[in-house]
Amino acid sequence: MPKRKLDPLPSVAFQILLSLANDDLHGYGIMRQVADQTGDRMRLGPGTLYSSIQALLEERLIEEVDRSENAEPGHERRRYYRLTSAGRKLARSEAERLADTLRVARARKILRGDYV
Amino acid sequence: MSEKIYALLMYLYPSHFRKAYGNEAMQLFRDRACDEKGFFPELRLWLDLLADLAISVPREYSYIQSKLIGASVQQPLDGLPSFHVLEGESPRFGAVLFGGVLSLTSLSIFSVLFNHPGEYRPLRTEAAKTLSSGHLHPSAFRSPAAQRSGYGEKERIGSSLSQLSAQRPPSQDTASVLIQTIADDMRLDAVERQRVIHGVIANLKEHYFDRDVAQKTVDALLAYEKSGDYDAVTDERAFADLLTRQLRDVSHDMHLIVEYSRDTLPEHVPEQTPESLARFRKAMEQENCMFKKVEILPHNIGYLKLNFFPDTSVCESTATTAMTSLNHADAIIFDLRDNTGGFSDMVLLIANYLFDHPEYMYNPRGAPTEESWTRSPVPGSRLADKPVYVLTSASTWSGAEQFSYNLKMLKRATLVGETTRGGTHAGVFHRIDDHFGMGIPETRAINPFSKTDWEGTGVEPDVKVKAAEALETAQKLAERKLHKK
Repeated sequence: MPKRKLDPLPSVAFQILLSLANDDLHGYGIMRQVADQTGDRMRLGPGTLYSSIQALLEERLIEEVDRSENAEPGHERRRYYRLTSAGRKLARSEAERLADTLRVARARKILRGDYV
Repeated sequence: MSEKIYALLMYLYPSHFRKAYGNEAMQLFRDRACDEKGFFPELRLWLDLLADLAISVPREYSYIQSKLIGASVQQPLDGLPSFHVLEGESPRFGAVLFGGVLSLTSLSIFSVLFNHPGEYRPLRTEAAKTLSSGHLHPSAFRSPAAQRSGYGEKERIGSSLSQLSAQRPPSQDTASVLIQTIADDMRLDAVERQRVIHGVIANLKEHYFDRDVAQKTVDALLAYEKSGDYDAVTDERAFADLLTRQLRDVSHDMHLIVEYSRDTLPEHVPEQTPESLARFRKAMEQENCMFKKVEILPHNIGYLKLNFFPDTSVCESTATTAMTSLNHADAIIFDLRDNTGGFSDMVLLIANYLFDHPEYMYNPRGAPTEESWTRSPVPGSRLADKPVYVLTSASTWSGAEQFSYNLKMLKRATLVGETTRGGTHAGVFHRIDDHFGMGIPETRAINPFSKTDWEGTGVEPDVKVKAAEALETAQKLAERKLHKK
């Protein structure tokens, strides 16, 4: 299977990386976190979410965590995902790239406001 | 319920994705469904899911597609028939069976529908309307000569069709072929059959010159209809031919005819305008009035190839010039193998040169008038006693048959070639509906030569050879005759 393209990083993948910055989350957790951090603008459906997760796993930007000990009785075991150091690095550089873009936008007077 | 629907929708994804993330995706769906209760949240959930499906399903398959392309490059198949699957594994037996049944079913439905095209009549009508524009239409052209020489108000089928073939550009032919392909599958229904039969009856009663014969024919048609003779006829052309045959059987008048036209027949014959006349004149001038060749062959044999007998009001001078240029020939060959007919006055004009006294020229279109005799001799003409040969083919038609028939019956010419096509176009045309019309003679024509003319049978040549060999044969005959002298 050819690698899914993450260069340039799609915004969904970037948002997933960001959502995992503080906590390990399962799929639904990621979806909720992404919705929160984008002000509900981005609500990930299962297909998009797991497709992106698969791509991020293949690129070793995130990894699966075994949290079976947390499994509640009667509930299916959930897979949790954690940001790898490569993932964190990529998220940071993407954020910087966006910040650069933002600076350019401000300089060109497209956006008003304080210097970032 | 909604969970089951979503579980079914999950089958849209490739199997490897379902295996890897199916449970997770279902879990996510359950979580969201649990948290988002109420009408609007649920609506939003489903909109999200559908949008998600629309985006992610094609993407998942596109990954597989690129993998397959890579694989097929690596493993060329040795000419074996093969097919690609979007799934990453071999299809299940059930899937193959289902696919087979589905393709067979759709194939048979397609073939059944293909053989029942009756519902598509509007398409034919629309297409025909588009194509039957303006002056290119049969019977859309009424010549000034037709008005002048007392042909009556209505168009003659023959001259209109001949003009049609003379004027129609090649593209129109292509279009007609196309329409024919569509229209060939169209079928006649009971309503139209009845409309046509009753139209034929009404027109016969009103226009046929012999009331008794008309009544006898009408009775016969009604009897045929009652006995269900027409019920099985679904082909328009076959229906027109059947009616024609029956009309002729009962009336013994070969000039009665029912015609079917693929193109829609116009409601009214358009008035002759100066513009259309100018157009006709210009077309005729461009074609040298259809006098395709006028030349002297070896042994001083004059040769005239004429593809149409055009209206004398437009082409008299061209005809006179052509005949004058052949005046010193020792024999003359009229090549009518590609002649589709035309105007009776031109038939007479050319025949004038071939006699030293007035001769009666039979015209199936009506009772004799002063115009039925040739104006012979033509001053200065030396052709009155020269041997004449007329070349005919199976497509020689109408006015060209009048010319051939009369010269043959008067023993003034030797006909060489094939039996002609056999159309007098003697009737005045009456429209019955969009696609059917009929020709009805309105006066009794007088044929001094025999009871029947060439309608439906054609004119038999004196020397029967293939059309392609007719010229050579006629030349040999002429040479032999001239040599004897």
